Amino acid sequence: MLLFENKEQKLINTLKFIGSPFKKFVSTGEIKEDVGLVHSRQDFLQNIANIIERNENFILPIIGEVGLGKTHLYWALKHELYKYNIVYISLETVYKKFYYNTYAEFIENLGEKSEERVEPLRNMTKRLCNEWDAGERKFGFFQIADIEKVKNQAYKKWSRKFEDKGALMDVITAITAHQCDPYKKIEAERWLIGDLMDVRDLSRLNLKHDLRKRNIAFTMLKVLIENLKKESVLFIDDFERIISIRNPVYDTTKEIEEIEEVFDPRWFGTKKSPENYSSEKILDKILELHKIRGLRIIITLKSIDYLEDFKRRIENKNRKLLLMMKKPLIMSDFVEEDMFQFYKNNLDLFFASVKYKDYSKHFSTSFFPLNMDVLKYIFKEAKGNPREVIKYFIKIFNEIITSNEELEVILAKYQ
Amino acid sequence: MNNLTDFVLYDSLNNKISDGKFTGSIISKCEDKIIFSDNINISNSNEISISQGLIVGFEEKNEKITAFSKKSDFIWKNLEETPLEYSVLIPENIIEQYNQEQFTDDFPFTISLLHTAGLYLNDSISHINHLDFFKEEILKNPVSLIENGIIMADRVVISEIGDAVFYDSIIVGRDDKDEIKVSYETFVNVDDKNVLYIIILGIEELKV
Repeated sequence: MLLFENKEQKLINTLKFIGSPFKKFVSTGEIKEDVGLVHSRQDFLQNIANIIERNENFILPIIGEVGLGKTHLYWALKHELYKYNIVYISLETVYKKFYYNTYAEFIENLGEKSEERVEPLRNMTKRLCNEWDAGERKFGFFQIADIEKVKNQAYKKWSRKFEDKGALMDVITAITAHQCDPYKKIEAERWLIGDLMDVRDLSRLNLKHDLRKRNIAFTMLKVLIENLKKESVLFIDDFERIISIRNPVYDTTKEIEEIEEVFDPRWFGTKKSPENYSSEKILDKILELHKIRGLRIIITLKSIDYLEDFKRRIENKNRKLLLMMKKPLIMSDFVEEDMFQFYKNNLDLFFASVKYKDYSKHFSTSFFPLNMDVLKYIFKEAKGNPREVIKYFIKIFNEIITSNEELEVILAKYQ
Repeated sequence: MNNLTDFVLYDSLNNKISDGKFTGSIISKCEDKIIFSDNINISNSNEISISQGLIVGFEEKNEKITAFSKKSDFIWKNLEETPLEYSVLIPENIIEQYNQEQFTDDFPFTISLLHTAGLYLNDSISHINHLDFFKEEILKNPVSLIENGIIMADRVVISEIGDAVFYDSIIVGRDDKDEIKVSYETFVNVDDKNVLYIIILGIEELKV
């Protein structure tokens, strides 16, 4: 019979067996984060939530140094504002074919499984076609739509709201085919979710392009965001990359020579480099998003200087757009209490995920395997930067797991 | 069945007739045929007219009995002339429920016929029975004339034992006192002995 159990040793053994609770120190838009925000960040989150709920179209800059948890904030927002469709994009991944890739991110965000993703899309096309009188009942009973009539009705209702009429007609054709033509439904659905389509499929739908075509992608993005039941927030992370796109870092002349330029507009006398062009183009595309009613945009930047640069560039393009810019929110470092809470939250979540119930039972008030002194040391060394704090946690826990030294000996190095 | 007798616009058996121009979802029984329409006009002089209605039934063509559905106008100058047995305006709440419960077209295993065809005809001379052929299949837009009424449904499934099960159905029929009643049923299981015919409406013919 077991009379005595060394619970602390058991926890260490468990850790040695299952691995460290701290594995990554960089949050990404792709990998879901379940750890909630620490106490001092709750008010910050609430501020953002209030802005989102009280305004329709805006750009909200969030300023925070590297490693402060700006990307993690996206996940916290997603949990907090679950009634909104909050979509994360990184300029690095959507840099080319911006609207198409942004649209793809919106579709991806509609649900975890592919079936969950198409359902809101199907509801939207059904609702739209009903608004365009596709629900008219023939002989008093049968909902058999006259597709041409529905398309004309749709065009009449929407043509004022869209600049590119050709793209609008293509989008209407796809939506009406999806809802009213059972023989084209599958192809139309593929088109609507942004599948790449060959000429044969497109010709069946009487369309020339899929969503890779810029104007069609923009029109479809506008239709999607303005007509989904959930309102949308676009979270553009590391926005300063738009500036780094403009200013590529070539350290030496040799490096410049090694870069093979296929085409450089400067050969023809213009002063703009290809990077300048790319940066301008992507900025124009982002600013174009203001035409989408109800789209809230959050951008994260490393410093206020980047924000000023961004504002200057907007001013040069269209002063009025500056009115969309909200006052920036500045993220601060962790306070000591935050770090304690963050550490405990992580361990609670980790041990719950591996179903090690003894942890919550026996260690609810302790920082074991670390202690208060170690945590204070980490906080001081990391200067409250969450990413640096996590790096320390990873280092110490890896040492605890892999080293044969006593725990006290390991911890002594960090006090 | 509910007591929606107010929606009976014309009933030859009970000598009931309501004057006026009616629009909505109207089912009329005309001998052994069924007329679907969005209008009916009954004048003071008992002239009955239906414009652009869809008549469904069986007819003899080239010495062969075939199912048909046709768009047509109907005018009967007086009650003696009219072959109508009854006309019923289906209440809007039933129609809404019927529309809401319609099977989504996304469901991949539903068979829609392009042209109207007879699935079953219980006739001593020309018997048609394709129920076995469509066993365990889902067919869209069935219309059926049964002993005491009419069933129009969103879909019909032929059960393992060969009976027709109608889903999302509107039923019009007479009760034991010969009163006309209308009801909505999520599904109705009908023994083929009570069925006079089942016709599957072709979607191309509904588009005409």
